[in-house]
Amino acid sequence: MKFLRLIARNALRNRLRTFLTVAGSGFLIFVLVFMQTALSEMQAWEGEGPQYNRVAVQHSMGLAQWLPIGLEAYLRGPDIQPHAKHVMKLNWFGGYYQDKMNFFANFGADHAHLRDVWPELVMADDAYAKYCAQKDSCLVGQSLATKFKWKVGDRITLLGTIYPCDIATEIVGTFKAKNVRQEEQLFFRWDYLDELMKGRRIVGTYWLRGHTPGDIPKLKDLIDTHTRNSSDPTETFTEKEFGQQFMAMMGNIQGLVVNLGFIVLVIMVLMIANTIAMSARERVTEIAVLRTLGFTPQTILLLILGESVLVTMTGALLSLGLGLLLFNVAHLSPAPQFFPYFLIKPATVAISLSAAAVAGVLSAMVPAIRASRRKIVDGLRQVV
Amino acid sequence: MGIGFSSPVVRLTHVSKTYYRDRQPVPVLENITLTVESGHYLALMGPSGSGKSTLLNLMAGIDRPTAGRVEVALQDLGSMPDRELAAFRARNIGFIFQLYNLIPVLTAYENVELPLLLTRLSGKERAKHVMTALDVVGLTDRKDHYPRQLSGGQEQRVAIARAIVSDPTLLLADEPTGDLDKKSEEEVLVLLRRLNQEFKKTIVMVTHDPKASATANRIIHLEKGVLVAAPE
Repeated sequence: MKFLRLIARNALRNRLRTFLTVAGSGFLIFVLVFMQTALSEMQAWEGEGPQYNRVAVQHSMGLAQWLPIGLEAYLRGPDIQPHAKHVMKLNWFGGYYQDKMNFFANFGADHAHLRDVWPELVMADDAYAKYCAQKDSCLVGQSLATKFKWKVGDRITLLGTIYPCDIATEIVGTFKAKNVRQEEQLFFRWDYLDELMKGRRIVGTYWLRGHTPGDIPKLKDLIDTHTRNSSDPTETFTEKEFGQQFMAMMGNIQGLVVNLGFIVLVIMVLMIANTIAMSARERVTEIAVLRTLGFTPQTILLLILGESVLVTMTGALLSLGLGLLLFNVAHLSPAPQFFPYFLIKPATVAISLSAAAVAGVLSAMVPAIRASRRKIVDGLRQVV
Repeated sequence: MGIGFSSPVVRLTHVSKTYYRDRQPVPVLENITLTVESGHYLALMGPSGSGKSTLLNLMAGIDRPTAGRVEVALQDLGSMPDRELAAFRARNIGFIFQLYNLIPVLTAYENVELPLLLTRLSGKERAKHVMTALDVVGLTDRKDHYPRQLSGGQEQRVAIARAIVSDPTLLLADEPTGDLDKKSEEEVLVLLRRLNQEFKKTIVMVTHDPKASATANRIIHLEKGVLVAAPE
């Protein structure tokens, strides 16, 4: 700690150069944080975990294909019922409110079973009763309602992008959830959508809730076997698998993020190495003077490494501070239609700070070793 | 260190130093044998290139002889590994440079404190030592000034405070007045004389200047790497 002042003063010796290096390393750490957060937000699509024993049934050709309404009878029938206590239809509507930028998750849901299949959505009983009683009603997540300043009783229109219709609906209640991302959803009624679609009876997905975790493999097997030789074969997923297929659609994002992170680290190391090498070259005589006073090569090495780590960590802390302010406090999102929340996780903070420290050490290693090993008399003779 | 008056602080025995330039040997010092007793103030004179600074560097343990033995405070510097030698320098040797060589980003106080950062002294104890050293050189009122805010003479006095702050056995000064005006030169020479007489510091000073050497109580001459005036 007693050397901290010397390290800090040396770092601030050429203020413009230090400012540019801090800004550069801060920017690169910001890129790293941004990518890591995008990845973790994508992983957040993986659902609410296994405790609700939910499975999703979709067409084996993908989500763009509809499932027949006739399948519902089988899912509510004697083969399935011993393994599933609740079944519901759910259609992704993909509409937006007023402007295409106002995009969020909105579904046509089987109103009678919504609460049974998603018990973690907490809502008032009378709100749910109104939703069940009124065909053109909807339930809105509290966070979404706050964002758009909606209140119960408001009528809003969702403009369709997939379906050739718009949904004019009345908000009859809001719901809360432990995972705030679940509050970024709107559920109107499936039968209302069906009415607007002139009774075509099309279903996007069926969601079932098993009694126990052991029911999940049985449900997957029973349903997919039943439909295997039909015109509409199905693929049944756990909630996590269902979420992961969106990740898969985007390719190996995780691999991309790791590779880009590595590139960011390399750029950072090269950039800072240049700065530290310049700085050490300018101080050859001073380093020789310190050695004359009794500073060991190891202490000189630590001083130079410390200076480099101070610069990278300052950049990292500033960029993390900015990121936390923008994303975690002000709840801004770079792409609200995909990421209603863009929250930097503690693990991302830890990874970024570690990357900054590693970059600081790596970039200063060569100039620090060279400076610390230079003969004192050569350093004292050098005219810089 | 237990070095009493008249015991040798520096003892050079058959010391030679040869540099190599493009693989050609360039002898700088040849077979130097010299003793500096405790409490002495020695002026080392000679023309440029005579090997004065090299001899001083060997005494400081910042360079190693090609042949011979260098002892300071009864310790053989040649047998010490670099790390131990650095610790020895910090404890026993104060070095004063011609161009002061203060760290420009540190204040006078912080520059003087530098050698003490290598000790286990607390911040309070360090402060006490630093203020004492600054008081000896008469610059307590300039402790918060940066080197660029000081005159050449003041800078050299801060450098002297830095050299004495750890109360070393030996003070080595390489042309300490070489870059100063007459008034500052006078102040620095008076200060060195006082350190020798009042604080009993053993001083070896390299100088060209007869006026500077006159303040010493012993003068030796080097010419082409050889002592021309026999040591006492």
